[in-house]
Amino acid sequence: MNKFYLEIITPEKKFYADEVEKLKLPTSAGECLILANHQPMVFALEPGTLVLTQSGEAKEAFTSEGFVEIRPDAVVVFSQAVEWPEDIDEHRAREAQERAQEQLRLLKSEAEFQLNKRAMQRAFARLKLKKGGHFFRQ
Amino acid sequence: MADSTELKHRIRSIKDTHQITKAMELISISKLRKVIQKQSFSSIYFDNVRYTVKDILLHSSDVINPYTQKRMGNRTAYIVIAGDKGLCGSYNSDVLKLAWQDIQTKPEHYVITVGQMARSFFESKERSIDLAFTHAVTNPTLHDARGITRDILNLYNRNLMDEVFLVFTHMYSASFRKPEIIRLLPVLPEDIQMDVKPTFSGDILYDQAPNEILKIIVPQYLIGLIYSALIHASASEHTARRTAMSNANQNADKILDELNLQYNKLRQDKITTELADLSAGRI
Repeated sequence: MNKFYLEIITPEKKFYADEVEKLKLPTSAGECLILANHQPMVFALEPGTLVLTQSGEAKEAFTSEGFVEIRPDAVVVFSQAVEWPEDIDEHRAREAQERAQEQLRLLKSEAEFQLNKRAMQRAFARLKLKKGGHFFRQ
Repeated sequence: MADSTELKHRIRSIKDTHQITKAMELISISKLRKVIQKQSFSSIYFDNVRYTVKDILLHSSDVINPYTQKRMGNRTAYIVIAGDKGLCGSYNSDVLKLAWQDIQTKPEHYVITVGQMARSFFESKERSIDLAFTHAVTNPTLHDARGITRDILNLYNRNLMDEVFLVFTHMYSASFRKPEIIRLLPVLPEDIQMDVKPTFSGDILYDQAPNEILKIIVPQYLIGLIYSALIHASASEHTARRTAMSNANQNADKILDELNLQYNKLRQDKITTELADLSAGRI
């Protein structure tokens, strides 16, 4: 399978930089799979789970909001935060989720609603990945 | 000539202060190093965000985003970033003076301060402060930058202001820094200075309308701007303090040398007189 160079960059660090075969991303238009030799493109990322496949082995990671740039020489993911499942702080994510739920109850304006929706999305995505989907089956 | 106990006392007190200034210098050096390291991590990310924002603004004609549109009024908000502490030469007064001068030219303005010194400056001028952030400058984190951005956008969304300016100290090198004013909102392409060369210059297809992407990355662009301003301010403060403290250290050394010499002379004098007295057999 053809490979392409993938870089994942967050404000804190360079999270990943290596050759991969496949990359699956959560975008605002749904899930999106990138293979080698993709057309140059930019699109926005939603909080969720990204899956990268390297030498046949799939790895999952949490990603926050951001955007992806597909260039001829590389695919670069810019995200506010990317974490491997083992690095996710479950306690913090749960707290964030509760906070967002509480705020949602107090619902004030459209803008605040959007902000909360994002916070909730992030919390859910983290918890989902951490528990391997268990959270939603409960 | 001063009394020897008095001299001794002075020497001791100067030594104590010298120790404090020495520690402050060392702390500034290590903090400066940390801040610069942080900056280098985040700059790749935010440079790219800036580039993409500019690219979209320049190449897409039908951009509709509340943050890129000029507003008609002239209500101006200033975010003034200064230090939490003094003892750093002219760092605080330079940036505050610039902010104060510019604020005077705007008829209708709001003041948002970051750092204790900025707050107390405006309080002393009896200018009410609309929003104050502390803690963010000594050790700037992305979390602080996100918090500030969120609050500012909140105010901007409620249509309380038409323009937002950021006043901070830009650090160009270890010896050169300058207070500057940059526009934060609205986001205009001419304000975005590109310091990275894009690796790819062909046409880029935007899946989802550019508007959708802008909606997500404009807040990140703002976070990046505020974060880098905080970092620059913090780095400037630490270099200023380091210089001030190393001057203080040099001065302390000089004064100590002089005082020690005086003290030794005095002691020697006393011994000589005593010896002379004893050998002459005087009581």
